[in-house]
Amino acid sequence: MNHTLTPGKTEIQAETQSESRTAHRSSILETAKRGAARAKSAYVVRFSRWARVQHVAVIVLFTLLLLTGMPQKWPYVAASQWLIDALGGIFAVRWLHRACGVLFALLVGAHLATVIAGLLTRRTRPTLLFTRRDFADAIGSLRYYLGREPSPPKYGRYDYRQKFEYWGLIFGSLIMVVSGLILYFPLLTARLLPAELIPAAKVMHSNEALLAMLIILVWHLYGAHLNPEVFPFDASIFSGKISKDRLRHEHALEYEELFGTESEGKTESEKEKEEEKEGDRGVTPRT
Amino acid sequence: MKSTWRSILALPALLLLAGGAGAQTPESTESSGLTEPPEAVAYCLMCHSDESMVLELEDGEEMSLFVDAETYMASSHGGDLFCTDCHEGYDDEHPVGATFPSRREYEIASYETCKKCHFDTYNRTLESVHYEYLAAGVDIVPVCTDCHGTHDIADPHQKQAMMSRSCAECHPDVFEVYSQSVHGRALAEDIADVPACADCHTAHSIEDPTTAGFHLASPELCIRCHGDEERMAPYGIPTEVASTYLADFHGVTASLADPSEVKERHLVVTCVECHGYHDIASPALMPPGAMKARVQEVCQSCHEGAASDFPAAWLSHFRPSLRHAPLVFLVELFYKIFIPFVVLGLILQVMLHLYRIAMSR
Repeated sequence: MNHTLTPGKTEIQAETQSESRTAHRSSILETAKRGAARAKSAYVVRFSRWARVQHVAVIVLFTLLLLTGMPQKWPYVAASQWLIDALGGIFAVRWLHRACGVLFALLVGAHLATVIAGLLTRRTRPTLLFTRRDFADAIGSLRYYLGREPSPPKYGRYDYRQKFEYWGLIFGSLIMVVSGLILYFPLLTARLLPAELIPAAKVMHSNEALLAMLIILVWHLYGAHLNPEVFPFDASIFSGKISKDRLRHEHALEYEELFGTESEGKTESEKEKEEEKEGDRGVTPRT
Repeated sequence: MKSTWRSILALPALLLLAGGAGAQTPESTESSGLTEPPEAVAYCLMCHSDESMVLELEDGEEMSLFVDAETYMASSHGGDLFCTDCHEGYDDEHPVGATFPSRREYEIASYETCKKCHFDTYNRTLESVHYEYLAAGVDIVPVCTDCHGTHDIADPHQKQAMMSRSCAECHPDVFEVYSQSVHGRALAEDIADVPACADCHTAHSIEDPTTAGFHLASPELCIRCHGDEERMAPYGIPTEVASTYLADFHGVTASLADPSEVKERHLVVTCVECHGYHDIASPALMPPGAMKARVQEVCQSCHEGAASDFPAAWLSHFRPSLRHAPLVFLVELFYKIFIPFVVLGLILQVMLHLYRIAMSR
């Protein structure tokens, strides 16, 4: 459930370090172990460093904004007042909220700038755009959930759920930034636009925040943590890596695009052998 | 042994409570049912019913020692408290002659006699701004007897009488302004729902109203009545005035801010900035545009250069509707539908996913 841009290049790496370390040992056992380890640890770099940094920055800022914003949404709840006191009073909380808001706005700006620059220079592929296929996938996935299909649809680099969350974050952020700026600069707003926008922006800011929080709690927490397929923790957005095995399961089309379709319909052990071959062959990076 | 001691210690406290309760019950005068002073009082009155009886104090002022039996009997304490209950030490053969340098010093020295029964109330006065001055040696501030009287103590729960004889005595300017306000005029018409001085300032623990703390807490005073639907119903005043203020940015500030943190730049708008305090007027009775002009002025005190349409940012205590603030209303409506739609949809997806995993096993 991670929404980040396609890095310029997707590198395919094997654990070269462990390979060179173990190359000096000659026991048969070690060789066997090496093969198994390599098969398991074969991974694809899925997220660029910049994408990973953005994700961590969103976690930090989103959390701080919720901690300083939600008590202001429900100021008369005892827990809110406790939190406000703990954070140094309402003035400190508001200052912190605005500081984080400004940083968040800068992050959104930097994100959009890198996306647009990447698209213009053709270093980034627009893999997060919704296509007709995503609607078919959503229906296919629903049919699979209901037992009408034996397997879920094959997804590309991002499945429709990840795209939904990405675009939710983008539009949600834009709403939060714009309404936040209106609330931050009420005088300027009233000079340029009808003053009724200010209370409207407050309602919008507060409700959009609630929606964002609920989506993270329900959707992202499930997708990245509680989902039995990744439980307890999907680390790929932090490490940037995804195992080839997972890639084949969760993003079959991307996998096929990278490695071809030969491994389809094979058993676990066959797949492992397959992977070993690939590792030996050394897959060239996609451009 | 221990419990015996405890009961011995508790005895005076119980007596005090009983005495206090008895003295504070308004019915006590009627229950005594007397019109003639009791014997012990009558004894004192043998001398003190003489209207010409005076005492020359050290500063040369003459203090009347006359006590009107009828006034005393009609007072709250009439027939229940005897002279020596308050005037301790004035037994059969009490000294004659000036014992105090001035009348005021005598009053201040003797008012503490009230605490023998009214201990709680006396304690509250110690927190008051009046006592603060008294302790600092300013003797014009009121003590018990200045507001309640002495031999003529009356039921203090009659707002109008109490106010005009206590607060108005020293604060005539404020009283004058208050009398012209929507509350003051209603009180003059015997509408007891409106606040008199003590309803906001309290009767005994009167706080300094010029502090940031009093200012920040002041909405509570207004909301105590204006947030009470039952009390507001006869006057057709919506209680939303309270909830809309509290929900506003400034209402949150006033409710949560620590007074010590409030500096000049943090001037917090409460009810009184727009509506006034002693001079509160009904916005419904103000000339058209007057309230809006006032609100703009208040906005400008912090938001420098706020234009005439800036007050539209404040919805004037209206709940958003298609008539008042349609934009706000529509945004609110949108999220009321959109949030449950999205969140329930996602929960459904998660549950379907889990269902499928469970079925596949």
